Amino acid sequence: MSGRHVHGGPECKALFAKLSEYMDGELDPTACASVDDHMADCERCREFLESLRRAVAHVNTTDVPGLPENLKRDIVSAYERARSSS
Amino acid sequence: MGSASDDTSLLARIKADAPGAFDEFVERFGGRIYAFGMKFCGEREDAKDVLQDTLIQAYKSLRGLDRPEALTSWLYRVAANACLMKRRKGKFEPERELSLEDLMPKPGERVGTEIPDPSALPHDDAVRAETAARVRKAIGDLPPAYRIVLVMRDMEQLTTQEVADALGLEIPAVKMRLHRARLMVRKSLEAEFATDARPKDRS
Repeated sequence: MSGRHVHGGPECKALFAKLSEYMDGELDPTACASVDDHMADCERCREFLESLRRAVAHVNTTDVPGLPENLKRDIVSAYERARSSS
Repeated sequence: MGSASDDTSLLARIKADAPGAFDEFVERFGGRIYAFGMKFCGEREDAKDVLQDTLIQAYKSLRGLDRPEALTSWLYRVAANACLMKRRKGKFEPERELSLEDLMPKPGERVGTEIPDPSALPHDDAVRAETAARVRKAIGDLPPAYRIVLVMRDMEQLTTQEVADALGLEIPAVKMRLHRARLMVRKSLEAEFATDARPKDRS
């Protein structure tokens, strides 16, 4: 906000290591407030955080095909056969 | 994966090898284990093997499990081992953890402008399918030790503690691998989507 901050210094590097914990709400209040302050002053870190949030949101919403019914039936039948023959 | 009382009752039936208990076990957990295998391995045949290996091994060994509340972590541990055995291209444990420096943007590199907001994607099946393929590739390219943590935390929505229990890791190690996995996925997606922004050659 002040425009005095230059991205890429030790402060940005230290913050970089904590971004996931920050996103997940796992930082203690003091550390969280310090990240908030930094974000307010560093546009590049804000942009980076947003891109990380988007990447994680894509992972969160990735869908996969469900379990085919015939596979479920085959597994149960195979077990029942093995069970009755043992 | 089911309420605690459901788990207690099912576990008792499994221990007694009651008729239909395996069927119920597959009905309760099969879908989730298969989906987990798909997310980690990315291929149906591998997911099928993971499911079969996990169900059979878990069903046999569950008779020795005394704490129903540990069922979820326990099942994921068996499923994770099945996944990692399936994809044993290298050692599971990394020789060294990836350096954060390698995942930080270089000075002057543009960031945050390429990856689309997933909630604002156009309702176009082709665009969505292409995006999903890119995300799956980014996940699939992760080293297994990182991918397994990402799948468990960000796709299966397990807690950090559950992942630590399932994989036999300390909590700081889970957090560290999750963070690096996310950073790698971000980097990979940024590069993928950046190609859309470049002018395409016309032939």
